[in-house]
Amino acid sequence: MHIPDGFLTPPVWGTLDVISAPAVAWVARRAQRNTQDQQIPLLGVMGAFVFAAQMVNFPVGPGTSGHLVGGTLLAIVLGPAPAALVMTAILFLQALIFQDGGVLALGANVFNMALLGVAAGYLPCRLWGRKPLTIFAGGAFSVMTSACLALGQLRIAGVPMAGSVLWASLGLFLIGALMEGAITVAAVRAIERLNPAWVAGGPQSSSSRTLPALAMAALALVVAGTLISSAVPDGIQRLTGQGGTTAAWNLRVIDGIGGLILIFALCFLGGKLIFRRRSA
Amino acid sequence: MHHLVIDRWSRGSSPLHARDPRAKLAVLLVFLVAVSTTPPRAQLAFVAYAALLIVAIRLAHLPLRGMAGRAALVLPFSATFALITWWSGDPLRALALAEKSFLSGMAALLMVSSTPLTAWTAALESWRAPRMLILVIQFVYRYLFVIAEQAQRMRWAALCRRGTQKGYFDFSAAAGLLGVLFARSWQRADGIYHAMLSRGFHGRFVPSPPPPFRASDAMFCSTCFAGCLAIRLLL
Repeated sequence: MHIPDGFLTPPVWGTLDVISAPAVAWVARRAQRNTQDQQIPLLGVMGAFVFAAQMVNFPVGPGTSGHLVGGTLLAIVLGPAPAALVMTAILFLQALIFQDGGVLALGANVFNMALLGVAAGYLPCRLWGRKPLTIFAGGAFSVMTSACLALGQLRIAGVPMAGSVLWASLGLFLIGALMEGAITVAAVRAIERLNPAWVAGGPQSSSSRTLPALAMAALALVVAGTLISSAVPDGIQRLTGQGGTTAAWNLRVIDGIGGLILIFALCFLGGKLIFRRRSA
Repeated sequence: MHHLVIDRWSRGSSPLHARDPRAKLAVLLVFLVAVSTTPPRAQLAFVAYAALLIVAIRLAHLPLRGMAGRAALVLPFSATFALITWWSGDPLRALALAEKSFLSGMAALLMVSSTPLTAWTAALESWRAPRMLILVIQFVYRYLFVIAEQAQRMRWAALCRRGTQKGYFDFSAAAGLLGVLFARSWQRADGIYHAMLSRGFHGRFVPSPPPPFRASDAMFCSTCFAGCLAIRLLL
């Protein structure tokens, strides 16, 4: 779900651009440290592969078909940081050349799909080992996280959505998420059959699980929060004491994004503390 | 090889093509911010933005209709949301939503149609964008159509071999196709790396120094900034 320009208000796209730019720089540094020379063309060709793979239609039931989104597959093949970098490059090209997603909204799209989307796809395999079930969960969770984040940002920006529209879009997201899970499992299995070495370097469940577990919990909270706030929008409004839609939207923006950052900061700090205590 | 029409457009020669890519990127960002912050009731401003874009497209000798058609790719998404907004009783805002996304798409398209990819990625790099990201963008763009055409050929071949109902394509067959496409992409990446080695690649790309920022580029920047600011504040 690529957000075009004109949908997000300046505080929303501004904040997400400011968050995403250093995050991408960090991911690029990490990817550079972990890749050898020969992998530079590999990263580019894998990005082109994901573009091309989106042309291959997978039939799902009568009359409907889906295609690979690719974040989880890239994370399994290349590792999380290179995968996030490749997804960022794809989003740049889609925004500028294919008119798919906006330029000012690039920070938001990178945040939703390249950073947190790839993280959500990678974490289940990192936590519970690389099994068909975790790959499926990763694919589904990745799409669901990106979609819920995009939906949340659109609502924070004040794009009006009635209850029925919300439920319809959430239903579509859920179908898309299950499809991505199934397609990723099938693709990984097909690749493994050709050469197991290609996916062998992927995530393994290792000793330090606290940080990934907390990150996973934070992402799950984002998805659950979006689902709950769409299920009972009136309840949330009553909770925050805002009578109607006339409430100052910039206050809502600060509330929403501030809450998100707070949750992530808490999870991150908590994880660091526990991690340090364990390793000491 | 199938080339994108934007690729051909971006190699043209016109006053706009001759400007420094850094200047064009800066103008694009200022234009987008101006459009993004324009309130829905200032409908006249959107007309002025469109006029500004049309003048720039004429100046760049680019086909107006072709560009509008490509920029219209954003419309299905934004029209859906615009309709929803309309139904919820805010027609002016719905109109602004569609206009903003279309104008922004058109402006981004104009930038990439008047600047080759290597030039605007170099401009991004001179603004301290991570080198690794720029390299990956360039490689993805370079091999995009090669791999996509391979996928298309494999899809046709699979359909010919199966010869079943039209368009029917079984799930596991699609997964197998994806696996083979992955294997071929991997091999291609290997071949590219060896070709780079044999041409003297030693683990580092040497960036070429950026061209000087001329007085005409500064003029172009200030004129466009003034135009955007005037429309945003006066209309």
